[in-house]
Amino acid sequence: MIKELKLYPKYVSMSLRSGLSYKADSFIMMISFALTEIISLATVYLIVGSVPQIGIWTFNALAFLFGFTLVPKAIDHIFTDELWILAYWAVRHGDLDIYLTRPLNPLYQYIAKTFKWDGIGEFAVGIIIMCIFGPMSGIVWSFSGVMALILCGFFGIFVFTGIKLIFASLAFWIKSSGIILNTVYNLAGYAKYPLKYMGKAFMSIMFYVIPFGLMLYYPIECLITGSNIWWAVLFSAVAAVVIMALGLLVWNIGIKRYDSAGN
Amino acid sequence: MIELKNVEKHFKKPIRGKGVWGMFKSLFSRKYTVVKAVDGVSFTVDDGEAVGYIGANGAGKSTTIKMMSGILTPTGGEILIDGKHPYKSKERNAVLKTIGVVFGQKTQLWYDLPLTETYELLKYIYDVPQEDYTRRMGELIELLDMKPFMDAPVRTLSLGQRMRADLAAAMLHNPKTLFLDEPTIGLDVLVKRNLVDAINKLKTQYNTTLILTTHAMSDIELLCERVIILDAGKVLFDGSLDAVKHMFGDTRDIKVTAKTPIDGEAVALVFGGAVTKHTAEDGGHSVTFTIDGTKLSTGELLNHVFGRYEVADVKISETGIEQVVEKIYEKNKNETSEDGDAQGAD
Repeated sequence: MIKELKLYPKYVSMSLRSGLSYKADSFIMMISFALTEIISLATVYLIVGSVPQIGIWTFNALAFLFGFTLVPKAIDHIFTDELWILAYWAVRHGDLDIYLTRPLNPLYQYIAKTFKWDGIGEFAVGIIIMCIFGPMSGIVWSFSGVMALILCGFFGIFVFTGIKLIFASLAFWIKSSGIILNTVYNLAGYAKYPLKYMGKAFMSIMFYVIPFGLMLYYPIECLITGSNIWWAVLFSAVAAVVIMALGLLVWNIGIKRYDSAGN
Repeated sequence: MIELKNVEKHFKKPIRGKGVWGMFKSLFSRKYTVVKAVDGVSFTVDDGEAVGYIGANGAGKSTTIKMMSGILTPTGGEILIDGKHPYKSKERNAVLKTIGVVFGQKTQLWYDLPLTETYELLKYIYDVPQEDYTRRMGELIELLDMKPFMDAPVRTLSLGQRMRADLAAAMLHNPKTLFLDEPTIGLDVLVKRNLVDAINKLKTQYNTTLILTTHAMSDIELLCERVIILDAGKVLFDGSLDAVKHMFGDTRDIKVTAKTPIDGEAVALVFGGAVTKHTAEDGGHSVTFTIDGTKLSTGELLNHVFGRYEVADVKISETGIEQVVEKIYEKNKNETSEDGDAQGAD
């Protein structure tokens, strides 16, 4: 573990320098990630703008929720983007071979080699939206509330990573799990809207099965309604541990089934 | 020492429906076909030995190498490298520190960065002390003639340069055993010869155990003393290189095309029994000589022909591994029918 931590800066620096050859590419990616989210928020404004508010949710509150969902997603994107390649490509093409022949955790090696700084665009948009709409959202702010929200965001990163790991590792069984991962991952988009009004069944799925709703939507709902947000922190922490543990389990079982690829 | 005891690797290929739903269904489906890629392989390799592991496409040689180097987990049997299992998570790292692996078709070099960057990273991964690293890097650069391209990004290297660089990456931590999976694939004759020379030098200098898979018999002849031939996942032959040559007679076809007709009969007479066959084409302008490599070298024959005819073109075809396997099968069959009892019952 110590060796992995010590090596990480080396990996980041190599990844950054190797990305320098494609600087323009990464820059365009960064801008386009940020723009996509801004346009998406504008769409919410157009829809919600015609009605004064949905239940307790004003547009300002919705915008704050919107900003909050971007932050853990962006951080996960920066650190573990390579998992998408695992899902779509790496298992099918036998690209894991070289990591398995080196005396260092293969999952660590695989994830550490890519540091996607273009996720900073999404991250910045998220933070800026939160700063603009936070004071106008009708939330009564306290130090404890801010701390709790930061913790929820922190655990949220691991829920994103864990879900990506679970569904990307399915590729060990079905060779290419990208489509499934994409479908599940996109569920996170629904946590930007008041899940409360989307039907009991869907809300249960988003809380207990794929817990994007639990870690993205629920903390903000607590803040808006004035319920105790520390419950949301606890649930997010449990969700993060469970999902990460599941992800590592699926990876560990999967890697033993890894077939490589013929020549 | 490397020991393989009755090693098996079976791949289960699920029978799979079409589309996303079919893919999803196959997750829970129990229908599959079993492919026995490696089917009960046993052998022992001592320290410092150089073993050529050969077989036709799909014979299971890459699969075996991948099991020995920790990539694949065997379905059955046991693999021990100095008493440890490369595929068990607790023993993995200890084993991997003592081996180096080079795949002809994959690189472990960082694609967009100069070579030195990858070597630096490997230094940390393998815990190579700085002074050992500096000394060894110097030796490898010299030996593999890598100075001209040390600072170029890997993507700009030629295949031959990349293979040398990959060799250096695999040798950096002074491994006891070096696995080479088709290291000469796709290289032209001259580059191939250079690479084989380099491997030979590495082997002599560091006394590394060498396990090599290849399609080309010529690689094996230059590098290995011992040959293991694999077919359909089973060991067909395990013995010295000389024994293989002896078994299939080491024949070579040499096709010579000249401006004036060649008298094949006369050439054959000069060398007596060493030329086993000669067939003329194109009114005698091109003649294919089949020679016995143990009695006559290609050079001797060509020297003779060059001295007498104005040669336009020469084509040499070596006996491929497919022919060797075929021959061994034939031999086994003959022995079986002579002895009247079944061989190799398993």
